[in-house]
Amino acid sequence: MSAARRGRVLPYLLLSPLVVFIGALSFVPTADTAVEAFFRVMPLDPPNRFIGLGNFRALFADPTITISWVNTAAYVVIGVTASVVLGTAIAVALKQRFRLRGVVLALVILPWALPAVVEAVIWSWIYNPTVGVMNSALHSTHVIGGYHVWLGLDRWLTILLIEIVQVWQITPLSALIILAALQAIPLDLYEAARVDGAGAVQAFRRISLPLIRPALAVCAVEALVLSLNIFDQVYILNGIAPLGSSVMLQTYVTTFENLNFGGGYALSLLVTLATAVLSLAALALIYRRPEAA
Amino acid sequence: MKNLGTVSRWAGALVLSAGLAALTAACGSTSSGSSATSSSSSSITVAVAYPAPPKALLAQFTKQTGIKVTWVNIGWDDLQTKIAAAAAANTYFADAADVDWSKVGEYQKTGWFYPLNTYFNVTSLKSDMPQLNTFISDNQLMGMPFDSSFLVTTVNTKDFAKAGITTMPTTLAGFTAALKKVGQVNGMASPLDIHFATAEGLSTCWYQMTAAFGGQVLTAQDTPAFTSPSSPGYQAMAWMVNAYKSGLVPKANINESDYQGFTTEMARNRVAAEMCDYSGSVASIYNVPSTSSVVNDTEYIPTPGATGVGHNVANPDGIGIPKTAKNVAGAVKFIEWFTNTENQATWAGLQGANNVVSTFPLPARLSSFTLMDKAGNIAQAGQLSTILQAHAQAPFPNGAPPWYVQFSASVQTNIHEAAAGQETVQQAVNAIAAQVSQLKSAG
Repeated sequence: MSAARRGRVLPYLLLSPLVVFIGALSFVPTADTAVEAFFRVMPLDPPNRFIGLGNFRALFADPTITISWVNTAAYVVIGVTASVVLGTAIAVALKQRFRLRGVVLALVILPWALPAVVEAVIWSWIYNPTVGVMNSALHSTHVIGGYHVWLGLDRWLTILLIEIVQVWQITPLSALIILAALQAIPLDLYEAARVDGAGAVQAFRRISLPLIRPALAVCAVEALVLSLNIFDQVYILNGIAPLGSSVMLQTYVTTFENLNFGGGYALSLLVTLATAVLSLAALALIYRRPEAA
Repeated sequence: MKNLGTVSRWAGALVLSAGLAALTAACGSTSSGSSATSSSSSSITVAVAYPAPPKALLAQFTKQTGIKVTWVNIGWDDLQTKIAAAAAANTYFADAADVDWSKVGEYQKTGWFYPLNTYFNVTSLKSDMPQLNTFISDNQLMGMPFDSSFLVTTVNTKDFAKAGITTMPTTLAGFTAALKKVGQVNGMASPLDIHFATAEGLSTCWYQMTAAFGGQVLTAQDTPAFTSPSSPGYQAMAWMVNAYKSGLVPKANINESDYQGFTTEMARNRVAAEMCDYSGSVASIYNVPSTSSVVNDTEYIPTPGATGVGHNVANPDGIGIPKTAKNVAGAVKFIEWFTNTENQATWAGLQGANNVVSTFPLPARLSSFTLMDKAGNIAQAGQLSTILQAHAQAPFPNGAPPWYVQFSASVQTNIHEAAAGQETVQQAVNAIAAQVSQLKSAG
């Protein structure tokens, strides 16, 4: 084999273990899920049999699943908006030079480094209606007259409070990505804008924002994928109650509580498709190459 | 660019940390997996929703049999998920595992557990274990009961006495009126503890309240017996939802597990009564000074019913052997040891507080009761014995149906939604009945 040919083959050889790894652990199960979604798979009612779109029809006819889709849409809207806006604000603040900036940066990152389950447990104590910090703080500052039950009674309040926990977790990564993008912008541009009389807000709108759009797109897609697949926080803070249920939680309930594996496969497939379509849409909407912005 | 470099290093370090964490987790899984795989005849893993027996007693078992026991205590709801997931994936997770009364029909149909008839003499056991039948489905013994348990009403007699109530009401109307008085006198906004979180505790509480109203939720043909507004099941649900909405039950219960209810609300004297308590809570929770402020103040009472003393739902725990077990012989020896007469009495307190299994309710064997009666160390033995013999009844006339898990999920979510004001009691009843019809038609 000639050196040139070896050079062409080498990248593929080096990548092949990764391709096999991802293929075995991701593509094969995905393909299996896609196939099984069209079968009735219930351990209580063997054997498995082909039922066409039966699982999907049952899912669309189930009001609990419908509620969970609407809830998930709310999780996504709150999650994407809040994490991108807060991430940008934190990144802009961290771009400034100030004492103990490194310490602040480390503290900001901490929620991202914690497992979602741990965070949900921490927040379950914050929201606890009897001994929670939230009631205690709001009551002692006279914001509320008496202790409240925050989760499980009001649908939209429950969703908002659960999503706050996820936003708390995913915002640090968004802030880091946006900070890196902000710091990559040549300082000459700001200097030129300042000479032309632009203020800080104008410089942010006309220079920073267009140039960090690729980073914003990445953050938005990351937040979208995570909030569309939200499970841990919902399960720990609100159990399997339909009131704040997400689609991923319903996938778990369908599969492991109701032992309807076919229905679970079908719901997983729908979530996967929704994630792919919405992620591509978000990228198309937000992503602009800097020169095109 | 210097700052960017700092951020990049930070990001790099984090990515590296995350990678290492993932690698560690993966190694952990591998290690755990290999440990399971290497399970030999000298070790078994026991997975139940129960604290382990004292180490010294487990060591005795190891000395007697040469079998080392790894005890895994998982929360009840999580354990059921783990059993289903492991069985569906045909993977090992334990040699002996929890077999709940509610799962017997399901495990018999799926074949996820070995029938124990081969290893134990069912006929001779029946005379000593009153609740053995609960674990038999289609003549197959799917699990061995390792306690006697039924749902009871527990009250704080001190709080009731303060309100001038020394004779306990025997009807629900009388009990409701008494609770209101107890709440006012003791400064408790909500004196009654009933669990409304979407968990198994809510389903069983409905069965218990239905029993208190004098009925069962399913017929012998496994059809709904709760759709008529005059039926005990309907009345029980309406009473529960009204108790929550009227403030008799703490609002926080919509999201609190039953265990939290026992250990914080009742044991901390934030409520004065518990309607779906476990027989055994007085000795194992409320009378434990380190975790309770109501030591010697609580008592089981005959369950108040619609017109007089109501029934109590029996919910014993069982242990069985999953088909994926690696050490079946070891598991059989362990079950024999764990459920024998002396040890059953020991877990309930025969040999003193140091040797009890925490939260253990009552022994599964009558012979163990006899041992404890002789030693005189069973709390409220007379009351419990009367309830066990005269009032304890199975939740379902025909045993737990194979589709119990879906039924229970529907029960708990719909009652929860009714209490949270998301639907009416009638809508909740209709939704559960529709689910039963669907489950029955699906076979």
